[in-house]
Amino acid sequence: MKAMYVIRREYTENVRRKSFIVTTILVPLFMAALIVLPVTFALLQPEHQNRVAVVDQTGKIGPEFVAALTDSLKKGGRKYLCTVVSATGENFEAAKQAQIDGLRSRDTDIVVAIPQDVMTGGKAAYITREQRNYNILDRFEDVLNNAVLKERLATEGIDYERVKTLTSRVKLEMNQMNKEGGLEQRNFLAEYGVVFVFVMILYSALISWGMTIAKSIVEEKGSRIIEVLLSTLSARDLMIGKLVGVGLAGLTQLAIWGVVGFLLAGSALPMLVAQMGTVHVSPLVFVYFPVFFVLGFLLFASLFMVVGAVSSTEQDAQQMQAIVTLPMIIPLMSLMLFIQSPNSGLAVAMSLIPVFTPLLMLARIILLTPPMWQIALGIGLMLVAIFFSVTVAARIFRVGILMYGKRPSLREMMHWYRMAG
Amino acid sequence: MPSAVHIENVVKRYGDALAVDHVSLSVPPGVIYGFLGPNGAGKTSTIRMLMRILLPDEGQIRILGDDLQQVNLDRIGYLPEERGLYKKMRLLDLLTFFGEVRGMPRREARNRGGAWLERLSLADRAFRPVEELSKGMQQKVQFVATIMHEPELLILDEPFSGLDPVNANVLKDIILEYHRRGHTVIFSTHQMDQVEKLCDHICLINRGRVLLEGTLASVKQRYGKNGVNLRFEGDGTYLHTLPEVASFQDNGNEVFLRLKDGADPARVLDAARARVSVTRYELAEPSVYDIFIEQVSGDGQ
Repeated sequence: MKAMYVIRREYTENVRRKSFIVTTILVPLFMAALIVLPVTFALLQPEHQNRVAVVDQTGKIGPEFVAALTDSLKKGGRKYLCTVVSATGENFEAAKQAQIDGLRSRDTDIVVAIPQDVMTGGKAAYITREQRNYNILDRFEDVLNNAVLKERLATEGIDYERVKTLTSRVKLEMNQMNKEGGLEQRNFLAEYGVVFVFVMILYSALISWGMTIAKSIVEEKGSRIIEVLLSTLSARDLMIGKLVGVGLAGLTQLAIWGVVGFLLAGSALPMLVAQMGTVHVSPLVFVYFPVFFVLGFLLFASLFMVVGAVSSTEQDAQQMQAIVTLPMIIPLMSLMLFIQSPNSGLAVAMSLIPVFTPLLMLARIILLTPPMWQIALGIGLMLVAIFFSVTVAARIFRVGILMYGKRPSLREMMHWYRMAG
Repeated sequence: MPSAVHIENVVKRYGDALAVDHVSLSVPPGVIYGFLGPNGAGKTSTIRMLMRILLPDEGQIRILGDDLQQVNLDRIGYLPEERGLYKKMRLLDLLTFFGEVRGMPRREARNRGGAWLERLSLADRAFRPVEELSKGMQQKVQFVATIMHEPELLILDEPFSGLDPVNANVLKDIILEYHRRGHTVIFSTHQMDQVEKLCDHICLINRGRVLLEGTLASVKQRYGKNGVNLRFEGDGTYLHTLPEVASFQDNGNEVFLRLKDGADPARVLDAARARVSVTRYELAEPSVYDIFIEQVSGDGQ
């Protein structure tokens, strides 16, 4: 079996490539950064004291507002230093303007203007120099609303504390029944993230390794190495050698990522849990992921081999690659829809179409546990599709690799297919 | 012993164009066989049919005594016309790979690859990628990759093209050495000096047809010895009007005159000396170059 030598060559050459080493290291770093950085930034965000001038026309809300605004800085001390400017009646606009001038001369950082009509539905104003801190805005709105509500209730003679207890909100906790009928608490939002990450990794692995194959065939054609190779081994050996060798290189990369990801998740887990709650990823995903990579790779790589075989230059190949990548973009685009109802008839049907199966079945396996028969059927249908694509590709490959010059039409390819039979 | 290569009435068409037109030839074992012809004569098409890259439309090909479809192509070393190697591969890995796919055990392929690199003074580059070598060096490495499994038959398509004289000489020495071990070499070229130096047998083809075939000596014999090389100063254009001259070839600094059967070369010298000052006069058999030019231009383009 001379395919063995081709396998070894393809494997070692691909694993040694600089781009392999770089992506193998960079992708986990990038992923880690994606998870860790937002958390770190949030923690590291600089905090400072804000001088707040509250211009109050009501005479009641201002002190109430300031009294409730007792937030402190992490390093200690008050976050907001408030002064209430009481400006009842006609003085309000002038007082507000005076504080805005103070804003300009940097005597104050935030001006809150509370007009009389807040009691009857009017708006209050929040004015800053340049800071666009939504957290402060949200906090102020909450506190102000409470103060106004309290005052409105007081005028009606209703006890604020009692209303607060009676109107406390109910939190809806997300649970999902598992196979055994038990309940698991889940965080759906985090799971969407997980699905997206896994599907994207699989998608890019399939595309990039497929393109690697197409490129290497174009190179062998261009340098006429192919003529020398075919004088000693069959097109079949060459094709098997490439599929297996490049596929193994891809698996190696995924395995490294898997191990690194595992270690990373282990060390960063406490932080993650704090950030987004518990995420359940079935360990089965780590079995299905390589399975769907291998199946998807065989299906798409055989198509990429046809692309390489019928192209004479790399530009030719790039144009044709678009046709092969198209069926992979469709599941990517429908992923959001898919996540919302992973068990709908449409979702089940689409995940059973071989070109969509790797990405969509994997997504469904992460989101829920589809019935075993669906997974088995998906894999079975893929195997059938792989059988056909490899057979057809082998025939076109055999003729195409020795053809130079203009790109063949579909009809010519059909002719090659029959010729090779 | 059977012929190394035996081709009978082989035809290859590309659409309406006839690239190889009923070619028959036979390469005896153990010779260096020059396959000559101008560009587009059908040399490469013929060679590609020998390597099963192209299928002949008609005719029969036998290689090393076997039918073309049955012969183990590992017994042949083939250097295609357009050169190329895996650019990113390390030299020794590359040679090992080519040895292995031709059926050598890995260790042996590695050892022999190393020995060849030593010989080409490339031992210090064994673990460097091919792309770092100069083009001429790459060409030599490719040649080694072709020959290292010690094939019985070596088919080289334009092996000397693009090589400087020093490197061409290195290649020539390796070819001769290989030939001395009893193997057969077929190479196509249009560099006639190499043919003159190397070949036992030649075959001249033009427009898909064989014009001449046989040992170098017999081909020259057929042409007869009655040629004259003449170097002179002055206007010699009148020389081709001499009654003794059958054909006239201006080679720049020299002219080659082919004489009619039975003509006396001495009379040509006298006639020449009457009009120009002769600096060199030599009775000569025609060179392959002369034969090539005469045959191909006589064949009509």
